[in-house]
Amino acid sequence: MTQTSLAPNLAHRPIASIKGCTRRYPGVLALDNATFQVAGGEVRALLGKNGAGKSTLIRMLTGAEIPDSGTVEVDGEELLHAGSGRAQDAFDKGVRVVYQELSLVPGMTLAENLFLGRWPRKGGVIQYAEMEAQACEAMGRLGLERAPNTLVASLSPAERQLLEIARVLLGKPKLVILDEPTSSLAAAEAEKVMAAVTRIASEGIAVIYVSHRMNEIRQIAHSATVMRDGRIIDTVDVKGADTREIVRLMLGSEGSQAAALENRSQEKTLLEVRNLALAPKLSSVSFHLKAGEVLGIAGLLGAGRTELLQAIMGVRRQDQGEVLVDGKSVRPGHYKRMLSRGFGYTPESRKEEGIVPLLGVDENTLATNFSGVSKSGVLSAKMMAEATRKVIERLHVKTARTDTPIGTLSGGNQQKIVIGRWVYANSRVLLLDEPTRGVDVEAKAQIYAIIRQLAAEGRSVIFVSSEIEELPLVCDRVLVLRDGTLGEEFKSPNIDQDALMAACIAGH
Amino acid sequence: MSLDQAATSASSSKKSGFSFSQHMNELSLFVAIVVLYVVFTSTANGFLSFNNQINILRDAATIGIAAWAATLIIIAGEIDVSVGPMVAFISVVLAFLLQWGVPTPVAFALSIVIGALLGSIAGALRAYFDVPSFVATLGLWSALRGTALFVTDALPVSIGRNDTLDALDRSVLGIPPAAIIMLVFFAIFAFVSRKTAFGRSVFAIGGNAHAAFLSGISVSKIRVALFAIAGAMAAISGILLVSRLGSGNATAANGLEFDVIAAVVVGGTSLSGGRGSMLGTLLGVLVITLIGNGLVLLGINPFFQQVVRGLIIVIAVLANIQAIKRSMSRNKG
Repeated sequence: MTQTSLAPNLAHRPIASIKGCTRRYPGVLALDNATFQVAGGEVRALLGKNGAGKSTLIRMLTGAEIPDSGTVEVDGEELLHAGSGRAQDAFDKGVRVVYQELSLVPGMTLAENLFLGRWPRKGGVIQYAEMEAQACEAMGRLGLERAPNTLVASLSPAERQLLEIARVLLGKPKLVILDEPTSSLAAAEAEKVMAAVTRIASEGIAVIYVSHRMNEIRQIAHSATVMRDGRIIDTVDVKGADTREIVRLMLGSEGSQAAALENRSQEKTLLEVRNLALAPKLSSVSFHLKAGEVLGIAGLLGAGRTELLQAIMGVRRQDQGEVLVDGKSVRPGHYKRMLSRGFGYTPESRKEEGIVPLLGVDENTLATNFSGVSKSGVLSAKMMAEATRKVIERLHVKTARTDTPIGTLSGGNQQKIVIGRWVYANSRVLLLDEPTRGVDVEAKAQIYAIIRQLAAEGRSVIFVSSEIEELPLVCDRVLVLRDGTLGEEFKSPNIDQDALMAACIAGH
Repeated sequence: MSLDQAATSASSSKKSGFSFSQHMNELSLFVAIVVLYVVFTSTANGFLSFNNQINILRDAATIGIAAWAATLIIIAGEIDVSVGPMVAFISVVLAFLLQWGVPTPVAFALSIVIGALLGSIAGALRAYFDVPSFVATLGLWSALRGTALFVTDALPVSIGRNDTLDALDRSVLGIPPAAIIMLVFFAIFAFVSRKTAFGRSVFAIGGNAHAAFLSGISVSKIRVALFAIAGAMAAISGILLVSRLGSGNATAANGLEFDVIAAVVVGGTSLSGGRGSMLGTLLGVLVITLIGNGLVLLGINPFFQQVVRGLIIVIAVLANIQAIKRSMSRNKG
């Protein structure tokens, strides 16, 4: 990265501008009179916590959303279509979004993927020589030195990301939007993507870079726009502003101090993790968990939170390090044995890994221990209904019947059942990975209450979340996962959101 | 009623009693069977005769016994194409065992154990080595047929006189034992699929294997068990085949696997897993058997019969999918 390329080239005219845009969803003001501009050759960082309005802003630029009021201009012309033609209009004017990992075919080559569906051909025959020559040029532009006939399956995650970017560049875009492009990458890998971003900008293309990693932003962005509650709060020079200042802008002044939690942690240590390493995300993680304690793990998307929980549970096998339960070392990679030790785990992606949508609430709850509702090997309808009703009542699940297919419930109620199955299984340690993701406000509050109640009963909970503001509401203690290891520790009631966020996004 | 309702948990309603839309699949199959009866009765001579009805039952048993296990396998999101050769291979094994003077009950038990073991090989390949079940059972399909043909030179292996086997082919009150065995196993499989942890785990694995694993269900063990059960059921079919033909026969049960899969799919079980019912398969078996029987009675050219059968199977499934879609959209609205 050359320092000269960092200075925004003010000679460039604005590529895209949003003027006074407002967008209202039922119950939410997603975008509130936002005005935003980005110029060619500029890398603009876009910051804001979940729900701050970043996605809505991006969707305005791509034409996927139409503002209730205000205008969107791309390349000096206003987007006028009011229907599905709007997205095509924005696309034709040169707006592109780089999606992560979604659109590559692993079994095809780099060149084939680059031109997917638009292969250069003569009479239906693909012109491989021509295609591969073009691919070489396109990839060289981004610093990806790989043979064009390399299978995508053998590319590293960063190289795949570069390929996605290269594909977008083929359309000669004017504005490229990258949404957390490095979140799935290890630090060294991320450098490659950042170098590519700098190159794109040096060609006069405007870049919007959504990320919360301050070290990355400092390295490649000229300025950063901070959003909160649907509003553009400020656009700051990243060089001048310190992390605390940016965090203050992101979270606002309200920084509500959590009510003091009743700490029920006991002396007994249930779980201890020593120097756990799992490439490429975790280098050395150590902590302990006491009975009755709610331990929060904070960290950005891609910090390795899920990997940590999965290694503890034995879903993945760690490269190094030890997990001790009740002071005894456990063999890595034995998920079922962790369950029989009284552990329970709820995965981050509820739909893909959490529920069996066609089966009833009852079976989704009771699958952890069918024998608890069986009489001599036969499931008892009465016991099933009773056990399920208990869980439903305790966790305030809204469902018509105990056997309603869980797929028809709201996300919040599904999540409560996913947690409830471990309550039914009487687990003493619960590892919850983003339990409030995609859940409405009321259900969130109920889930917090459930977690506190479980702790009051002497159970322990590890609560992983990327939503900084919820950690002080639930946790007795919060550890920050960053750069593959656990850093700062915060203890209730002194869990300060600003400090927590700063610790998450800080770079070394 | 209450037992049945709790069992089909996800698909029945306690308050409103029997719900037509929830059983759309079974109802439309029932209608299809009635239509087939009406059509064949009016066009095919002797279709309704007692003898022919018994024939239908006996033919149904050949498909049905294997189809119960196949239903569980398909609900779990897997497939088993090894049924036909498995039945033929076991018939040969049993014939040899009897020729060697192994006592009949022991020979039966050995045949079933061998069937289960062979099935579990396919299951283990799927569960522990990630070989797709289609490929694992296709391998079995080829190897078993080949072995049986190789050791017998494609000639029947006669068993001589055997009272037990004769009894298995002697009708009880006019009903062939094969049909009774089929119905008994139907009851067992329907019960297991609805009322046991094993059965419900099969549905969970087919509906979302990852979630099932994370809930603590032994996904791999259940997959092996499913294929072992399928092997055992095919072995029972093989025993009945010997009782019917009086010999072990390496060329028998040709194409049975496709009749079985067709019956399960016509019965409304989803090939993508997670959804299906034993009752549906029972009706599917009847549809497939009726079509076969009726077309023969009508004296249609045997080659052309296959064309008609193919068409009827696809149309039946198509109509069923449409009916379910319609009833679901009505439910939502």
